[in-house]
Amino acid sequence: MRLSWTIPGTAVLAVGFLLWAMVPWFELSQWAAAQQREFQNAMARALRAIRDGEPRALWLLCSATAAYGVVHAIGPGHGKVLLGGAAFASGATFRRLAVLTLASSLAQSATAILLIGALVFGARMGAGDAADLTETWLAPLSLAAIGAIGALLIWRGLRSFGRLMAEQADDHSCGCGHSHGPSVQDVTSLGTFRDAVGLVASIAIRPCTGALFVLVIAARFDAFAAGCLAVLTMGLGTASFNLIVAGGGSLARRFALAGQSAGSDNVLRLSAFFHIVGGGVILTFSALTLLA
Amino acid sequence: MLLRIVFLVISLQMAIGPAGAHPHVFVDAKAGFEVNEDGLLTALHISWTYDPFTTLFLFDALDLDSDRDGKLNDEDYAAILRGETEWGEGYVGDIYLEVNETVHPHLNPVDAQASYDNDQITIRFDLPLAEPVKVVGQAVVLMLYDPNYYYSYTVNDLIETTPLPENCDTSIYAFEPDAVTGDLLVALGTLSREEQPEQANVGRLFSDEVVLSCD
Repeated sequence: MRLSWTIPGTAVLAVGFLLWAMVPWFELSQWAAAQQREFQNAMARALRAIRDGEPRALWLLCSATAAYGVVHAIGPGHGKVLLGGAAFASGATFRRLAVLTLASSLAQSATAILLIGALVFGARMGAGDAADLTETWLAPLSLAAIGAIGALLIWRGLRSFGRLMAEQADDHSCGCGHSHGPSVQDVTSLGTFRDAVGLVASIAIRPCTGALFVLVIAARFDAFAAGCLAVLTMGLGTASFNLIVAGGGSLARRFALAGQSAGSDNVLRLSAFFHIVGGGVILTFSALTLLA
Repeated sequence: MLLRIVFLVISLQMAIGPAGAHPHVFVDAKAGFEVNEDGLLTALHISWTYDPFTTLFLFDALDLDSDRDGKLNDEDYAAILRGETEWGEGYVGDIYLEVNETVHPHLNPVDAQASYDNDQITIRFDLPLAEPVKVVGQAVVLMLYDPNYYYSYTVNDLIETTPLPENCDTSIYAFEPDAVTGDLLVALGTLSREEQPEQANVGRLFSDEVVLSCD
């Protein structure tokens, strides 16, 4: 009985680990770095074209930033760990994950716009103040929020396990039904608006460096609006890669649950287990970077 | 005016983890050695050319071209030199001279010049050594790297202001990813664990080498 859920669970972890180990991360990051350099140069050309008032400049800039967003997202960053881990744990539909991924990338762009907007146009806020704000609060806050989501997922998993155990203990004593047992809703996450906002906000708190650079340069050439548009398309580019990661997490979950009847105790146990694994990965990652 | 945010963002990016390991600033470098008649290495010659994107960013960070004519004047060049060659305590310009595999210290830049061509800013300077060092028969290797790999340096040419003694020769060994991929993969892995002491020098593994050999 017990083996029936530990086997697929362990198998998914093993396959995931194997796939991870097989990815040529070094070559991939070298390739991404080379592409990033190309797209960075393209952004520079487009920004100069905007300064010189060329008609196609905005289009050039947006296509360059979108491409930059894609290649910059390649590599194991904090947002991807969160999205992948949460997708694996949560059991949310792919459509919902896609919306959340898109929302978190765009919200991250918005943070960059707000931050540089405040720097450039906010008469009261000096560059030093905004810098201190980001340095002291935003980056650690983002990691702490992500870590908290990891902890929450673990807690939900443990709680469901606890209820499943209690239910089993009850079964032969009182036969009072399944009221103590976790429902399918208990062992899925990201279903509520509150969960969704938490996930998006934890990613969006920390803006992306490339976006800040584009905005600063655009503002310097009196083209802040063009910069904003370009940064939003960069967010779309990032989201397109992150979608693959979230999809991968979701797929791994489905693979592990294949053949199990929905709502069965096995599925509930596996889902609880995935919460602990996914939450554990997220919490470990953010704790390591936060404490380093 | 936004110079602080550059450094802030850079340090922030590095603090955040492996995503920050991607280089963001690309520098095409030139390098050379100054060896005197007594066979002593006395100084290094360095030139940095920033990529066009970083160059644009420097326009804001160093507040260049304040008259917005797209050209740089003497005041701008002076600002570039101040920003690039007045190094704070402990910063060595990502320039490491190793003699027999031990880092040999150099001083801060002298005789610096800045230029602006093809939409790229270039800074050229010399670095006198704290103590001149005998080079005959020694393994002298110059490396340009950011220990955190935020800046990526590529050495693509040599600088020879005064000809080297006849018994000396300089060559560039470009970083070859394939030859040492195994080690580098491990190194890249340590990038994600910032608490690892090995991580402090991971950029070195991606570095080109400029080798001076005198016999």
